[in-house]
Amino acid sequence: MIRTIIQISILRLWHNKSELVLTFLVPILFFSIFAWIFGSRGSSGNTPQLKIAFCDEAGSATNQHTIRLLELTHSVRLHPSNTPNVPTEAYPSLKREAAESLVKRGLVNAAIVFKAPAPNSRSEHIEILTDSFDQVAGQVIVALVQKSSIASQMERNATQAYEIRMAGSPTVSAVAAADFSTNDATQQANAFTMPSIASPAIALVDVLGAKKTNPMIAMYAAGIAVMFVLFSATTAGGALLEERENSTLERLLCSGMTIDHLLMGKWCYLTAIGILQTTLMFGFGAIVFKLELLKHLDGFIAMTLVTSGAAAGFALMLATMSRTRTQLGWISTIVILSMSALGGSMVPRYLMSENIQRVGQFTFNAWALDGYNKIFWRELPLIEIRQELCVLLISGLAFIIIARLFATRWERG
Amino acid sequence: MPQTAVLYPDFNAVPAVELALRLDQVERSFGSTKALRGISMEIPVGERLALLGPNGAGKTTLVRAICRRLRIDRGRIELFGKSIEKPGVVSQLGVVPQELAIYSDLTAKENLSAFGSLHGLRGRNLKWRIDWALKWIGLEDRKSHLVKTFSGGMKRRVNLACGVLHSPKVLLLDEPTVGVDPQSRQRIFEMLEELRDEGTTIILTTHHLDEAETQCDRIVILDAGEIIADGTLSDLIEHTTGSERHVCLQVDGRLTASIPNLDWDETNHCFVAQILDPAKELPALLQRIRACGGNVLDLEMHQPNLHDVFIHLTGRELRE
Repeated sequence: MIRTIIQISILRLWHNKSELVLTFLVPILFFSIFAWIFGSRGSSGNTPQLKIAFCDEAGSATNQHTIRLLELTHSVRLHPSNTPNVPTEAYPSLKREAAESLVKRGLVNAAIVFKAPAPNSRSEHIEILTDSFDQVAGQVIVALVQKSSIASQMERNATQAYEIRMAGSPTVSAVAAADFSTNDATQQANAFTMPSIASPAIALVDVLGAKKTNPMIAMYAAGIAVMFVLFSATTAGGALLEERENSTLERLLCSGMTIDHLLMGKWCYLTAIGILQTTLMFGFGAIVFKLELLKHLDGFIAMTLVTSGAAAGFALMLATMSRTRTQLGWISTIVILSMSALGGSMVPRYLMSENIQRVGQFTFNAWALDGYNKIFWRELPLIEIRQELCVLLISGLAFIIIARLFATRWERG
Repeated sequence: MPQTAVLYPDFNAVPAVELALRLDQVERSFGSTKALRGISMEIPVGERLALLGPNGAGKTTLVRAICRRLRIDRGRIELFGKSIEKPGVVSQLGVVPQELAIYSDLTAKENLSAFGSLHGLRGRNLKWRIDWALKWIGLEDRKSHLVKTFSGGMKRRVNLACGVLHSPKVLLLDEPTVGVDPQSRQRIFEMLEELRDEGTTIILTTHHLDEAETQCDRIVILDAGEIIADGTLSDLIEHTTGSERHVCLQVDGRLTASIPNLDWDETNHCFVAQILDPAKELPALLQRIRACGGNVLDLEMHQPNLHDVFIHLTGRELRE
């Protein structure tokens, strides 16, 4: 008896190709995607370079040298406004406000502000303006700046010592005569001409998250909302296939309804559900987790409208492409999970290598998340999300057109 | 093997009647397969027509063509004298598919409301028709229950009601009684009878030959995309198997002489005879058998029916 049940189950699995794919291929596919995302971080060629800007209020040669050393690490890339036109020229400095604005707009991972030295202070004072959205970048830049600053001071001292020794600087002689009684010239040069190397005082300044009551909620709310809007839209879109399978679609089309009416009706419904779902989620976030929804209502409405509309179009496209509801189930699972993984719904994109971040830009999630993050995290005005709105709007239209093309097979034969 | 087409009756011979549906040389092919080969048919208003045929005969293709779900390659289909291609003409048509094409996760009332709205019913008229339909299908007390909780027969009735809610003048029914118990089947036919009394023309495709026999005025048999028979049941019997009763006799003893019209059936091991009037011919036949030394042990008489006609016309071979 038990053997027969096992036999039947195996045979049913064998005949159900969709279930076979879901059971054996999908786990491997997802393992590969995550291995690709995180495995590639180990190879130096793909490690993401941190984009930085700097403001040198002190205007010192040491700071210029620190920046040069930072650049030599290949771990950072200077924002174009800090890059000299000719490599031999000095690095142009930004004003603090400009550097802070770049951080706020997400155009750089961090900005380094070399503060003007306080009177009688021998140590440098540096502020790293960070965006706690990227929790890794700030710490990495602190370490890199510290290392480069110390290296820069050491190089400066060594150069000065070398010049003194070679040129017999009167300054050195005077210092030596005043402070020491030994006659060993070499010892004098080494011990007394070099100012001590002070570790710079580095302060991390969170320019975005500091004033927020619950800083990371906005990021997670957007990530989860977009993924679930996609999932629920495709599940609801499957009703179309169910209607086809049980001849309800045939009956609907016999009533004088056209495929255009049908698709538009479905799209409006799915869009409305997406809007409601996202609004509920952000509303809940506002009440329970103090998400600043009312403060960014205009941006939220704009992003939610286009995201829900595009997700509805995407769901209809998948539904019309599929032949059965089971097929839709496994196609949507694979596609949505892949897009969510690459697009940043599951793992922040800044943790991914540059190559994968570029691939992620081809996903629906990445654009939607970027838009929501600009509104809620970076608190940017509506105009700043025009690119995201346009991409989602155009994608949504493209999805609907593709869905319409696939649906022609249900039209009058 | 299909027999040569026998077409009855000749419509040119009958007085002019208002036609609900007229098909003229309708043809449709799928690739190299000809699904409909010049179908011509006229259905008067108020008639109940049974569309029969083995699997793959073209019934579904024909029904889909009539309700404009399929383009025809050639020919013309008219509903009340107007081509179905004209806007709004097919709104006079009601379609009840074989599958339960209703939303099982909606209530009976919600289903009726949805399909009523799709057919243009609004407001008070829609409400009135829903109330009528619920009463008609006998589900007034279950109107707020989800359809998925209904029995097969109840679902069939809702399926039927959704197709007639907009009061169509022509109703196309594809196997409306599949999988229902005799009581529900009887109720469905009572409902159809009510519709016919109101003047609705009914076209029914079915594999239940007894339904066609008892519930329809005219029978059309399709095979390989062609009409091979068209007429009333008695017409069809008369022109195919003949209306003689088929008598099978088990006889004990050997007959001393041959009897006219009595043959030995090797397959069934019995004597067979064809008689037109059993009351007159049967006693005489029995007497002759006895006179020839035979003793009739058993007698079985079979009256030709639609099943015989169907097999006679379409053959015994299994279809797709």
